[in-house]
Amino acid sequence: MLEVHDIVCGYGGVTALRGISLQVQAGQLVALIGANGAGKSTTLRAISGLVPPRSGQMFFDGKEITRARPPRVLASGIAHCPEGRRVFPHMTVEENLDMGAYLRGDSAEVAADRDRIYQEFPRLAERRRQAAGTLSGGEQQMLAIGRALMSRPRLIMFDEPSLGLAPNIVERTFAIIRRIRDAGTTVLLVEQNAFAALEMCDHAYLLENGRIVLAGTGAALIENEHVRKAYLGG
Amino acid sequence: MSEFLQHLINMLVLGGTYALLGIGLTLIFGIMNVVNFTHGVLYTFGAYIMFIVVQQLGLNFFLALPVAVVAGWLLGAVIELTLLRPLRGSDIDTTMLVMIGAWIAMQSATLWIWGGVAKSVATPFPEAPLVLGPVSVSWLRLFVLAAAALLIVVTYLLINRTKLGCAMRATFQDQDTASLMGVNVDLIYTSTFAIGSSLAAAAGALLGPVYVIFPQMGDLAAVKAFAIVILGGLGNITGAVIGGFILALAEELGAGYISSGYRDAMGFLIIIAVLIFKPTGLFARSERVG
Ligand SMILES: Nc1ncnc2c1ncn2[C@@H]1O[C@H](COP(=O)(O)OP(=O)(O)OP(=O)(O)O)[C@@H](O)[C@H]1O
Ligand SMILES: [Mg+2]
Repeated sequence: MLEVHDIVCGYGGVTALRGISLQVQAGQLVALIGANGAGKSTTLRAISGLVPPRSGQMFFDGKEITRARPPRVLASGIAHCPEGRRVFPHMTVEENLDMGAYLRGDSAEVAADRDRIYQEFPRLAERRRQAAGTLSGGEQQMLAIGRALMSRPRLIMFDEPSLGLAPNIVERTFAIIRRIRDAGTTVLLVEQNAFAALEMCDHAYLLENGRIVLAGTGAALIENEHVRKAYLGG
Repeated sequence: MSEFLQHLINMLVLGGTYALLGIGLTLIFGIMNVVNFTHGVLYTFGAYIMFIVVQQLGLNFFLALPVAVVAGWLLGAVIELTLLRPLRGSDIDTTMLVMIGAWIAMQSATLWIWGGVAKSVATPFPEAPLVLGPVSVSWLRLFVLAAAALLIVVTYLLINRTKLGCAMRATFQDQDTASLMGVNVDLIYTSTFAIGSSLAAAAGALLGPVYVIFPQMGDLAAVKAFAIVILGGLGNITGAVIGGFILALAEELGAGYISSGYRDAMGFLIIIAVLIFKPTGLFARSERVG
């Protein structure tokens, strides 16, 4: 479904990705793990068009998206739920959800999707007229997920959805992501919480210093000696 | 007391156009992070459009105002596309210098085309003012207030109730995330600059006929716009409206009770006072609409 070939990119003089290749099959939950600064966020930003690659190619459903701007990548069916949630703080919960459906013209369907998200997350329904910046971290994460779903993506990319959340909310967030995959949406998940990510994924990649150094099923990576030592605490 | 009431009435009339000027500038700064030195020239431009449409083409005064708004919108779009879009991503100093250059070039062009002699615009309103008990106000100034109020309301609705406005606010708050939602940020920049410019042109078109029209009229207007934006908080639209009325009140009181020479000094005094005592502006970040 998503094919990334040998992507090199960076910021100014800094090279963040030194030739990344990965594949995401339709219906899978694929995890991308790695240490701080390994280039996980940059990989997602390159796919969604926020950081144009210097070289390499990317295809989604066979169509090239290598230098597509973010609106076109989204229109092709890839949603990116960014690191740190990034809800629009001075906009209401409802306006945030509507921003997720910005490219859609079918307003009746959009309203129905919004209601489904309110059903899934009743806290958001209670706070629909409240500024998103006043929500708790967990509520903001639910809003960010709901907002990404509002575009009806076929592939949804999550960047560290568990970051800074209380343990019970982290559990809940992972359960939601598994449910999204089970409902048929393909997921590319970036996580620092390597164990949780490897446990729930179908396939995983390990990123170190801007390169993919290991790939395999989640179970295989959990068993791997290097992964155990460096990422799973022995 | 009646003198004070008269000052309040004058404040309302001036404040409306000042608010337009301030909203335009604060929108552009807030969304694009551009210090727009051409704002004053756009104000002058709006006034000259009034002069062209009414005096030179002999067309209807009420038609001239929408023409000035549209012309300001177009000129703003051209400035954005030719000067600002190529500079996207460069530092704020570079953009500022280019905008200062554009200001000087456009002001000189105005002088070249229309000469330095001040022009006035005939209005269809009766000479005799409307007298309400102790206060009087000219029909022209009443019209200016009503038109400014209408434009403020339209701008407010545009920003808070439309999809374009939603995208503008989203871009303002978080540009990368807005583009992840599918917002074409380049288009938002051009629209924002065009809308801000059309508001400056509208302010000039409204105040031009009240005073006289000359090439440098926009310089003082620009200083006032900066004072309003600093007062209301950068990027704060409600703040700009309130700031516009506060500046107008300060000018009226300064001119009325200190000396008429103080009128135009008030903008500078406000800038100095705000920067010393409350550099973030009078209104907290959370209150801003856009
Ligand atoms: N905006 C930026 N400007 C310059 N360098 C950047 C920028 N963002 C990231 N980098 C650099 O690019 C490299 C990869 O960063 P990236 O954010 O992709 O890492 P990450 O794996 O997501 O890390 P984290 O776990 O901290 O989120 C790092 O060396 C980082 O310092
Ligand atoms: Mg990251």
